[in-house]
Amino acid sequence: MPDPSRRDFLKLTTTALLAASGLIGLAGLIRFLDFQPGPAPKTEFDLGPASNFPSGTQTVISDVPALLTHNQAGFSALSLICTHLGCTVWQDANGLTCPCHGSRYDDKGNVLQGPAKKPLASLRVELTAAGHVIVRTG
Amino acid sequence: MNRSLLLGSGALLLVLVLAWWLTSRQPKPVLLIPTLTGKPEYCLTCHSDLAQISPSHPVKTFGCVICHGGDALALNADQAHSSMRGGANPSDLSVVQQSCGGGNCHSGTAADNSDHIQRVMGSVQSTYAGAISTMLYTFGAEPDLTARFGIHAVSDDVITTKTGVPALKVFDPATETNPFIKEFATNCLDCHINAKPLTGQPFDRLTGCAACHTPKIDSFSKGQIHKLTTAIPYTQCNTCHNQGNYDLRTMTFVQRTDQSTDRLHNYYQPIAQFTKCEYTLDCVDCHTRTEAMGDGDIHSNETQIQYIQCQTCHGTPSQLPQTKTLTDPNDIAFRLALLNPIVDPKVGDTILVTDKGEPLWNTRVLPDGTYQLVGKATGQVFTFRPVMGSGCTQIGTDQSSAYCHTCHSVQR
Amino acid sequence: MRPNFFHHLHPPTIPAAQARWRYTLGAGGLAIFLMLVLGVTGILEMFYYIPTPDQAGLSIQTITYQVPFGALVRNLHFWAAQLLLIVIAVHLVRVVFTGAYAPPRRFNYLLGLALFVIAILLDFTGYVLRWDIGVQWALVVGTNLIKTIPWIGSELYIILTGSTQPGIATLIRFYAWHIFGLMLGAAILLVWHIFRVRRDGGIAIPPPALRTDNKRITRYELVRREVLAMLFSGAALILLAIFLPAPLDEPITQTAEVLGEARAPWFFLWIQQMLKWGDPFFWGVVVPVLLLVLLALIPYIFPKPADRELGRWFPKSNRLAQVTLAVIVLVVIILSIVARLSMPGGPSAS
Repeated sequence: MPDPSRRDFLKLTTTALLAASGLIGLAGLIRFLDFQPGPAPKTEFDLGPASNFPSGTQTVISDVPALLTHNQAGFSALSLICTHLGCTVWQDANGLTCPCHGSRYDDKGNVLQGPAKKPLASLRVELTAAGHVIVRTG
Repeated sequence: MNRSLLLGSGALLLVLVLAWWLTSRQPKPVLLIPTLTGKPEYCLTCHSDLAQISPSHPVKTFGCVICHGGDALALNADQAHSSMRGGANPSDLSVVQQSCGGGNCHSGTAADNSDHIQRVMGSVQSTYAGAISTMLYTFGAEPDLTARFGIHAVSDDVITTKTGVPALKVFDPATETNPFIKEFATNCLDCHINAKPLTGQPFDRLTGCAACHTPKIDSFSKGQIHKLTTAIPYTQCNTCHNQGNYDLRTMTFVQRTDQSTDRLHNYYQPIAQFTKCEYTLDCVDCHTRTEAMGDGDIHSNETQIQYIQCQTCHGTPSQLPQTKTLTDPNDIAFRLALLNPIVDPKVGDTILVTDKGEPLWNTRVLPDGTYQLVGKATGQVFTFRPVMGSGCTQIGTDQSSAYCHTCHSVQR
Repeated sequence: MRPNFFHHLHPPTIPAAQARWRYTLGAGGLAIFLMLVLGVTGILEMFYYIPTPDQAGLSIQTITYQVPFGALVRNLHFWAAQLLLIVIAVHLVRVVFTGAYAPPRRFNYLLGLALFVIAILLDFTGYVLRWDIGVQWALVVGTNLIKTIPWIGSELYIILTGSTQPGIATLIRFYAWHIFGLMLGAAILLVWHIFRVRRDGGIAIPPPALRTDNKRITRYELVRREVLAMLFSGAALILLAIFLPAPLDEPITQTAEVLGEARAPWFFLWIQQMLKWGDPFFWGVVVPVLLLVLLALIPYIFPKPADRELGRWFPKSNRLAQVTLAVIVLVVIILSIVARLSMPGGPSAS
């Protein structure tokens, strides 16, 4: 193969420089678009005084969304976000059912049926010094 | 032509690299979204080493802009500071309503004890109504000592005391013809809360709320102190008080000339008489919030608002001092103790109260009947007995401090 | 080599003498490049800009201070916009001073003028989108000038601002005009304008019989020159964007006190100066429109440039048109300088 001529070298270098500019531009563009301007979604929910959730009750907290249970063992929270594609699971006569594609869970969150494979997540519950119930999703 | 293209591509690449490099060198903005406003601020990018102003104004809750104003998102110092209220002091009375006000902050209602700004604006310390009305009366510009003018105009719709006046107009010396009053206006208006203080170390203070609540350490010449406190030492009050006297013939302020460094000699003017507690305690240990900040009414004279006497804490030969047992966990006494935790009052504790019912929260009635007071600024613990049952030969009807001083005053 | 898409967008050859930089100044091409830059940077800004009164100023600050390279994108957009107006003006001056508006190019001249007006309106609507205290007075005055038009003024005002006073409806409408309405108009007119350049015979030159120089350059050479121009002007634009930031002020809020001097955007300073002289409708609407009409009439009322003088600067035959344009341009510049000098400092405007 003959030696590259001066013209080819210039052309190659120009192309390389332009390609480098293009790559820098692309990298900059990706960083530009990567930014998240809004406030991060809440991961901590103050549900109010524990007295609102007496022992032996189950309450659906739609903000989170979660199912808050207060029994002898204390407080526990089950996430109501369906593990299939994220719809909010409803509580009905049959237990926990997802309206979108029909997944069903038992009251511990295990999958009974449906396209969902993973069980509903358990969320951490805390009691503050002032007696408020805090649910954490993060 | 190909060479020019090469040059052009090189120039473009160079400039892009320059842009990238310069961007990466910019200081990483430190974002704060205070929980009270929910709006992002970048003040901490440069000011993160500034001490938090007080435990009751945590920066994570308040941020900086809610009090100081300014441009929350600007990273350029000039732009960020361009719209700050009151310069570096947002508590200056000209901007205090925007900075410290608001129904949930310090211009709420008397019922929940949050009407500080209204009270201060009408208080004698800020209107200077007493000095002005005394001058005007003395030189025949007013028929009586009722205040009609103040440093700023203020009005009061709800008058709850006998001595409250409905409104004050602005004291404008340009409309006065008497040369003495004009001299008074020129020389003697440096000590109300909104006035710029006289120059010189003893007078160094800020204006507005900070005049009292931001105590200086040594001198402000070392830089502003970013602090709000209720533990106000006597030295702060002495930026206006006890620094000298007026000569009414020449209408000038004559500064005291004694130099001293210890509390006994430094506290009061050489002409003053005082007892031991009056110099071991700070002013705020006796003088209450109502006395200093007003009771909501506009008064014509300091004597109409200042009401603390020795008997408030010590009682008289025939009467014990008034007390109150704290039963309500929302009592203001607990809130005040929270701001300055030198004592830890509990529900069921008995504390001293004033005639107007103001709690002396830094006091306590001990089980053996004696009383305890903890100095608000010093933290010193004092135990004392009531006058009743002691060898005091006081006549109960004379409660002026001069009377108590006859026996109890201290020699310098 | 085989011509690619970009080569085919250009004629096979163009006259060499008129292709020189010092003939066209590359102004028309530069204007197109700047509009491309504006389009790209504008779309990028759209990812973060929020067109509501309480969010607009803050979202621009987000772009400037928080988004990586956001400041660069915004400054590029700003400088490309201001330079566009100047480059179009240079192009207009070049066209008149080389007699390149003579028939059959008169209609294309009008298309170009229309593009100029659209560019100014794009600059103004973009300026208002900042929604900060630096633009507040310009917004109020600019929209109130519409109200001064007799009979149709109030109705036109409501159509433009969406309300009886500037507010959230105004911002949304100005946003719609800026990113779509005016853009669509500009795109259509631009394509038509470039088409007409080709159909009218390319860059104005004397007819074949009168030509002295028959050298031509190929489309490959032309594209190469254009790429070169884009590379250098792109680099210059980025340098400008790095070192000279676009103006930014405190967002307009209900309670904000407006600080500083009221100032029109730089391209309307001449109108602000005239508005000091009397009736707003006359000085703010009638006079600028009359000036525009005069510009539009240049190819129709003044003596045509002679055929043999086409293709070069300062032909003698259309001296009157050149002088008229020069006077208009000078008057606008002088009025702008006077307006600017008679203002003390204040918040920055573009």
